[in-house]
Amino acid sequence: MVKVTLEGVSKLFGDFLAVDGIDIEVKEGELFFLLGPSGCGKTTTLRVIAGFYKPDMGQVYFDKRPMNDVPPHKRNVGMVFQNYALWPHMTSYDNVIYGLKVRKIPLSERVRRAKEALDIVQMREFAMRYPNQLSGGQQQRIALARAIVTEPEVLLLDEPLSNLDAKLRLETRQEIKRIQSELSITSIYVTHDQEEALSMADRMAIMNKGKIEQIGSPREVYSNPLNSFIAGFIGESNFVDGVVQSVSTDRVVVIAASGDEIHARTPIGELEVDQKVVCSIRPESIHIMDHVAQTSMGIQLFEAEIVSLTYYGVIEHYVLSSLGDMEIKVTNFNPEAKRRLEGEKVYVTFDPEDVDIFPY
Amino acid sequence: MGRRDYLGRLFHETDRDAFLIFLVIMAFFGVFLIFPILYVLRGAFFEGNRFTLTYFNLMVTDPFYRQSIMNSTMIGIFTTLLTSLFSLPLAYLMVRYDFPGKRLMQGILLIPLVMPPFVGSIGMKQLFARYGSVNLLLMNLSLIQRPIDWFGGGFYGVIIMEALHLYPFMYLNTAASLANIDPTLEEQAENMGSNGFHLFRTVTFPLLLPGYLAGAIIVFIWAFTDLGTPLIFEYRKVVPPIIFSMVKDIWVNPMGYSLTVMTLVVSVVFVVFARRFSARRSYEMLGRGHIVPRVRNIRGWKLLFVYLFLLIGVLGALVPQLSVIMTSLAEEWFLSVLPAKWTLDYYRIVVTHDVTVSSIMNSLKYSVFSTTIDLLLGVLIGYLLARKVFPGKDLLDSVAMLPLSIPGIVVAFGYIVAFSRTFLNPFEDPTALLILSYSVRRLPYTVRAAYSGFQQTSVSLEEASLSVGASPIRTMMSITAPLIMANVIAGGIISFSAAMMEVSDSLILAMQEEYYPITKAIYGLNLRLGDGPYVASALGIVGTILVTACLLAANKLLGKSMGELFRA
Repeated sequence: MVKVTLEGVSKLFGDFLAVDGIDIEVKEGELFFLLGPSGCGKTTTLRVIAGFYKPDMGQVYFDKRPMNDVPPHKRNVGMVFQNYALWPHMTSYDNVIYGLKVRKIPLSERVRRAKEALDIVQMREFAMRYPNQLSGGQQQRIALARAIVTEPEVLLLDEPLSNLDAKLRLETRQEIKRIQSELSITSIYVTHDQEEALSMADRMAIMNKGKIEQIGSPREVYSNPLNSFIAGFIGESNFVDGVVQSVSTDRVVVIAASGDEIHARTPIGELEVDQKVVCSIRPESIHIMDHVAQTSMGIQLFEAEIVSLTYYGVIEHYVLSSLGDMEIKVTNFNPEAKRRLEGEKVYVTFDPEDVDIFPY
Repeated sequence: MGRRDYLGRLFHETDRDAFLIFLVIMAFFGVFLIFPILYVLRGAFFEGNRFTLTYFNLMVTDPFYRQSIMNSTMIGIFTTLLTSLFSLPLAYLMVRYDFPGKRLMQGILLIPLVMPPFVGSIGMKQLFARYGSVNLLLMNLSLIQRPIDWFGGGFYGVIIMEALHLYPFMYLNTAASLANIDPTLEEQAENMGSNGFHLFRTVTFPLLLPGYLAGAIIVFIWAFTDLGTPLIFEYRKVVPPIIFSMVKDIWVNPMGYSLTVMTLVVSVVFVVFARRFSARRSYEMLGRGHIVPRVRNIRGWKLLFVYLFLLIGVLGALVPQLSVIMTSLAEEWFLSVLPAKWTLDYYRIVVTHDVTVSSIMNSLKYSVFSTTIDLLLGVLIGYLLARKVFPGKDLLDSVAMLPLSIPGIVVAFGYIVAFSRTFLNPFEDPTALLILSYSVRRLPYTVRAAYSGFQQTSVSLEEASLSVGASPIRTMMSITAPLIMANVIAGGIISFSAAMMEVSDSLILAMQEEYYPITKAIYGLNLRLGDGPYVASALGIVGTILVTACLLAANKLLGKSMGELFRA
């Protein structure tokens, strides 16, 4: 098991700065995610780690070993490509065993390990098929077996599930997670699918425009996003602009553009009175009430009107107009049998603990 | 970012090795393509050190030259028109309709490719000469009193022979374009109320135009610059034979240079125009991957028209081949409709006579070497273009494709004048120059084949190999090479078969019998009285069979995409 460290890594294409001085430390045996919108530099970062690109600045370390001048084939990494990159002129078995042949592993061990790898991905019976005789999911498994059979120090996965259909994607997620933790290989996984990252990652880095916005566990990132980009990219959120009116140890009061007063918990960073800020409130943190009840004393309430609603069975999505004419998205878990109507006047409320404040 | 920074970056990203290879390749093209052309240009515009346009002036003022240039141009244009007239409907029919016998037709359609028109002309002269079979037959039947001059003094003979030989190029290109049209585009148009000829004119034709033009370029240049066919018809009032006859006075008469330059300019202008036109009109087909063309069935009485059309056109195009076969088997064929007696003697001569045997060996030798060069350079260039970043990449692409628009006669004349006073002197031993001219002219085929092989092989397949620990060399050998092999071999075979029956370069560069390749031997034999034309025909058939075998192999390897290799 190795630790992968990126120190101030930058990569330019022409005059486009694809990766902009990033620092990452991936711990031994960890499943680490690089998550971001397309074009954010996550795949470039992965390819720098694999050695297909040489960074223009900075250094990649495996443990204490600098890797910049080590060519890809001497890095001992396994890689799963987005298009699987299975060699079409070889059977599944030959694809898997190729890396062992290259390493001149003795024949008997070679065969044993290839079979083992095929067993791990449950593809033993398809060993003699050519890639074009396999379904997408099966090809994906062979690609994974090929990447792990050489017992690499680092496993790199470049959007491995993006070519699978939704159902298969869910199954394969669990599969990859299982294999990764069984083998406990230090793994770096690139995706733009936040659900994939949230459900699988030990830790993740959110990338945007070549930079890292935040690194943390899925829970940390989701519940404590460092800025409004992350809050908007990981899950959904409502953003309300406003000005800080007062700051105390545990509460901030913000005057929204509509004049409404919003109470929020005090964030970790510096905050001054009269500073312009953005309040982020997740749709599932907002609750709808039909009328002001006795029990609602002491909580913040805002008038709202239902613009539209969509019923999904398990949940219900609302778009409300509130806080001046702002569109507010609300997710209601456990919807009641009674149907609210578009145009209906209601109240919304949310706990100050669920409001994140970011500098504007 | 400033310009200096940009250059700095480009330098940083440049693969040093790739750039070195690029320089070596450019040096090759510089010496064996650009230098001879520049040499011809200098000879055409300078007398001593004095700039002159005298000889270009002469092309306009001298009635002989003026008429010859006119004839050549007309041959080019008429051949292109005649070819279009047949190829367009043919392509439409073959791509869009299904009928019994279609597969067989697809094979037969390619046959004219394998025999150079000047060989076919030898047989055609037997059939259509003043006292050839056709006139004799018609006179015997009392349908005509006096023999008809079918060849129009050679002018129409050349056009017909060129068209019969060249239509497959246009057909293949047009058909490839047509097959590539996403049927939903037409369906959308029909959905909006267009159909029939309107649909063809407004949607289908504009979309197949790039393919058609690519074919038209090949046809025009070939017909405009073909040397062999007019020579066989003894039709001297066209440009290529004039250039041919001027090879011996290259040190005294600059007219050959000027005519060569004129040929080059016309060809290049035509290519540039056609490319401009088709570039403006070549559309990205919406990426749907596999396209299933709309194919309709033809049944009933319409079939009759289809077969009639194919019979006249396609089978008509086989007449030259048949006539050569008949000539090669005729013991005596003089003033009679059919040969009086048949014999295999000429084939015996072909395989025993010094000149014919050595010509076959020479052709094999030249072609093997030129194909080896083509494969080597083709794979290297294809690799650089598909995989590497370096300054001058666009230049390499254009230069590698340049030979497609440069007529063989220009290259050959250029070689003679540029290298006669060097150790490569073709007057002494043309072997090196023949090999080089063959390889330069056919290089685009292998470049294209290798390039498309690399393109079809995703880089991630190579990266996957590197990532599991295989060295770049190992990756090249066990991943890349097997995946591009079919393409490369097919490209090589096409280069090889083209070299085997190369006409212009061979006629001009090979001057002594011992160095004759097949085509020059055919030309030489045909001039010989007595059994000359018969032996020439037999040799032509032997060459054709060799080429056919090669092309069949290539077709097997490449499948449908073979037509694309013949694009200009």
